[in-house]
Amino acid sequence: MIVLETKELTKRFGGLTAVNAVSMHINEGDIVGLIGPNGAGKTTLVNAIAGLNPPTSGEVITFGQKTTGLTPEKMCRKGLSRTFQIPIPFPKMTVLQNVMTAAIFGNRPGVIKDHAAHSRKMLEFVDFPIHEDTVSEQLNTVQLKRLDLARALASNPKLLFLDELASGLSEGELKDMMELILKIRDHGVTILMIEHIMQLIMNLCNRLVCIQFGTKIAEGTTEEVANDPKVTKAYLGGSGNTEAAAA
Amino acid sequence: MNNSTQTLNPFDKLLDLTCFTPLGLLSLLVLAILPMVPPFNQEYLIRWLISAAFIASMAIAFDFTAGLINIVNFGYCAIMGLGAYTSAILVERLGLSPWLGMLAGGLAAAGMGLMIGMITLRLRGIFAACLAWFFGLALMGLATKLVWLTRGPMGMRVDRLFDTPSNVPFYYLLLAMMVIIYITCKWVTRTHMGVAFMAIGQNMEAARTSGIDPVFYRVSNFVLSCAIGGVLGGFYAHYYGILTPDIMHTSKTVEVLAVAYIGGRGSLWGGAAIAFPFIFAMELIRSSLSDLPGINLVLYGLLLIMVMIYYPGGFAQFFNTYFRQTGNKMASYLFNGVAADTK
Repeated sequence: MIVLETKELTKRFGGLTAVNAVSMHINEGDIVGLIGPNGAGKTTLVNAIAGLNPPTSGEVITFGQKTTGLTPEKMCRKGLSRTFQIPIPFPKMTVLQNVMTAAIFGNRPGVIKDHAAHSRKMLEFVDFPIHEDTVSEQLNTVQLKRLDLARALASNPKLLFLDELASGLSEGELKDMMELILKIRDHGVTILMIEHIMQLIMNLCNRLVCIQFGTKIAEGTTEEVANDPKVTKAYLGGSGNTEAAAA
Repeated sequence: MNNSTQTLNPFDKLLDLTCFTPLGLLSLLVLAILPMVPPFNQEYLIRWLISAAFIASMAIAFDFTAGLINIVNFGYCAIMGLGAYTSAILVERLGLSPWLGMLAGGLAAAGMGLMIGMITLRLRGIFAACLAWFFGLALMGLATKLVWLTRGPMGMRVDRLFDTPSNVPFYYLLLAMMVIIYITCKWVTRTHMGVAFMAIGQNMEAARTSGIDPVFYRVSNFVLSCAIGGVLGGFYAHYYGILTPDIMHTSKTVEVLAVAYIGGRGSLWGGAAIAFPFIFAMELIRSSLSDLPGINLVLYGLLLIMVMIYYPGGFAQFFNTYFRQTGNKMASYLFNGVAADTK
């Protein structure tokens, strides 16, 4: 079953086309990697789908419904959740309150009876290392990433976007994060992850989408895309050579 | 908080319900008996007390917007003035009772809050503050120019709430209003609505991604805060008995802002606690340095800068750091209460 499909999705900022007619799809149970050089438009694409920055043209179909341009809060209720590249949750709230916010507002009223208990379960699920009463502005990056993940999971998503969740992690932390992502997938959550770390992509993703200068240059199984000469060229070949990459 | 509710004794339960710490209640009692104790039983000192309680109430409602959803309503005193003029005009022209006039003032201000909330919806932080400020300036301009309605700068005479030269009944009424305003605001922050306010104030994107609809919460925050301002405006009109457009001036908002920020953003109680010593100090300075007009505004600025640098969380942060985390059982109870939330 296809959980997410984009058709000719385009996002322009004035004269700049950040995402150019990208069509792609995600199957249920997939871990799809969204890759591409820096500035390729990966985060913009994700923002356009999730509603933070509605697309200029094109269509988004989520869980079989047309969701183009819906606000993030509506997408959240539909079962789409996301983490942020630079996780800054609610700095003055405690860890527990952070997660509870999503538990309270991310679900339909009445679905979750005890928000605090549900949030504690989420914190446990992501192995949150320190006490739940810590004010979140005191956390370090690794803790913030886990907190953001717990917050994203608290709204019981069916589809989860992870924006560079693993960047800046050490070798050991990377391994833990990998296990965690697999654990989330095993709980029936489909995942789209923006990622640069090849080790993670090759080990986790079963499909990849590669974009460059806002245009999709490859989509397919991890193997296919990783061996695609266009993709290799995008990463290793000279910069700015769009025509050669698109040819 | 919830799991300990059953074991509380009635006194602590009452404190929990009213969101007061034992120290807070004690201070309130002191404020209540103050007008009977010399030297505070002199009329001019009771007038100071009233203006302090007024600023305190305004600071609570102001902080409800500025501290929680992080939008500084620079037109706040103009909204208060709108409430004051609405009440005054209804009472003078239509012969309404001043009590109903105060309520009508609250309604008018709430309507204005709805409008400002809607219009500033797409704007962030400083831009929303500017727009609210322009609204305030426009309201003040209207009050000055619509001479047939408001008598403009000549001032409008208004019936007082109590037909007595004494200030004492006004003081107790205002004190009661202050307590009700504090409890209302604090109660809202304890509900899910309060969580939404803090979330959209601290990180709009994460809040929206977590499923919070900013439209509803931002507008309802504005409406409640402005409604309180309007009712307070009604009190103002029917206490001083004379109304000029001056009360809508931005410098009045800055006074409220200074008290709220020095008291502690987002704490609600900080501004109320600091208002009394603060206003007394300012009045003393004003009367002893009368050859330096405007010196109090300079002092507001200096104090604000110092607070921003050393204690961004204001007096509330100072208090939480040095008093609340004490090891002494008795003191801890006094400062925190049994079930009081330390937020």
